[in-house]
Amino acid sequence: MKNLLIKEFKLALNPGTYFYLACSAMLLIPSYPYFVAFIYTFIGFITVFILNRENKDILFTASLPIRKRDTVKARISTIAIIELMQIATAVPFAVIRGLINPEGNAGGIDANPALFGFVFVMYALFNTIYFPMFYKTAYKVAWPLIISCSAVTVYIFAVEIAVQSVPVLKTYLDTLDAGYAVTQLLVLIAGIAVFVLSAVFAFKKAAKRFEKVDL
Amino acid sequence: MEMLSVQNLSKRYEKFELKNVSFALEKGYIMGFIGRNGAGKTTTLKTMLNLVHADSGKAVVFGKEFSDNELAIKQQIGFMFGGANFYPKKKLKTVTSVVRRFYNEWDDAAYERYLKRFDLDEDKKVDELSQGMKVKYDLTLALSHNAKLLILDEPTSGLDPVSRDDLLELFQELIEDGERSILFSTQITSDLEKCADFITYIKDGKIVASTNKDDFLGSYKIVKGTVEQLTEETKHRLIGYKKNAFGFAGLIKTENLPSGGCLDVFAADIESIMIYFEKEQKD
Repeated sequence: MKNLLIKEFKLALNPGTYFYLACSAMLLIPSYPYFVAFIYTFIGFITVFILNRENKDILFTASLPIRKRDTVKARISTIAIIELMQIATAVPFAVIRGLINPEGNAGGIDANPALFGFVFVMYALFNTIYFPMFYKTAYKVAWPLIISCSAVTVYIFAVEIAVQSVPVLKTYLDTLDAGYAVTQLLVLIAGIAVFVLSAVFAFKKAAKRFEKVDL
Repeated sequence: MEMLSVQNLSKRYEKFELKNVSFALEKGYIMGFIGRNGAGKTTTLKTMLNLVHADSGKAVVFGKEFSDNELAIKQQIGFMFGGANFYPKKKLKTVTSVVRRFYNEWDDAAYERYLKRFDLDEDKKVDELSQGMKVKYDLTLALSHNAKLLILDEPTSGLDPVSRDDLLELFQELIEDGERSILFSTQITSDLEKCADFITYIKDGKIVASTNKDDFLGSYKIVKGTVEQLTEETKHRLIGYKKNAFGFAGLIKTENLPSGGCLDVFAADIESIMIYFEKEQKD
């Protein structure tokens, strides 16, 4: 597995993928829908998926002495690592934003722990839809991307609308007031749990489908 | 000792079927796998290696069933797919630094030796290699992990005659110590004349013949005769024939040669055998 991860980072990942991590700095914008800072990373993923199809990554990997399902595990782990890196790089910007501008965000949910919880769920949603769909054929990239990115868009609108329009959610989740930190941390923990469970689910479903694919 | 034994491999697609493909390759020999485009060569190789799921049948490599011992067997084989251009924008040394990690018997000294021998520059990108050099790089990777069985899908395709000859000589050199075997598919029949010990011929997903080259060539003859000699009985005996201004020429199984010696009989080469089989020009 370690060797496969090294393969992913040395051969499969486009260096441009890391560029989108810089988008985490968008959390410094005083008023902005902060979900946007986390969705640029999908552009990096799209490049990775398309490039790897053209680079015949699947056939190359299948020729190595590894189990077919491990290639799926390595790819999902790699994408999950990038997602975690995107979140990790956003944390310091969220802290700095809170320090230099304690005013709330008029453009959407504040950069607080709850936002990060919702972002974990957003990535979970993408992983759960994209990977099982892609590994059904292991070459059709477009539809899995269209469906998963559409679901992410609907999810972002749903969360923002719910938080802005439901008073109790607005009070507890759209604030930088430390008094609501416990609730927000609970949302974060729930988000992390969903992220982990979805990665396991996505792997099991995708690996099962990939085993049946003729390369 | 049998390096590879393919037993009754079958795979059905909507418009193509691999039917009970069987052949075997002994240690220390080269087998050429011929057939025209779409005959099932690549499908056979992929099905053997479990990249395509067989409906039935099995491949036995080094005496063990491939599907049950895939990881261990893959440690000792090297395979290359024609036209596959992996990571064209990566440097060879980057690809090697990844590949070497997966093999228990990776030998850095052998790798360096083959790089030098094939004049490969590790700092070049895969895309910057000629087709022949790409094949040599693939071979370098296979030989550096001490692969005992090389399975190569159309390694000579797209090579100029000199590079092809060079590669075929290399194949012969690689099996000289009697420890390795090579199975390579091709549609270039002269490749087989030059270096194959055994020939397996596939047509429409079925194996027509799998035998040593001399027996293969010996079992067919080219016959020529006049139009009058092309009787219904002669047509029935012929595998395929072509009419021309002087009469006809056709392919016949040696055992089916008519007695009496009225037809002109010539030795058949692999190309003629393949052409007459594929054309089967019977009216």
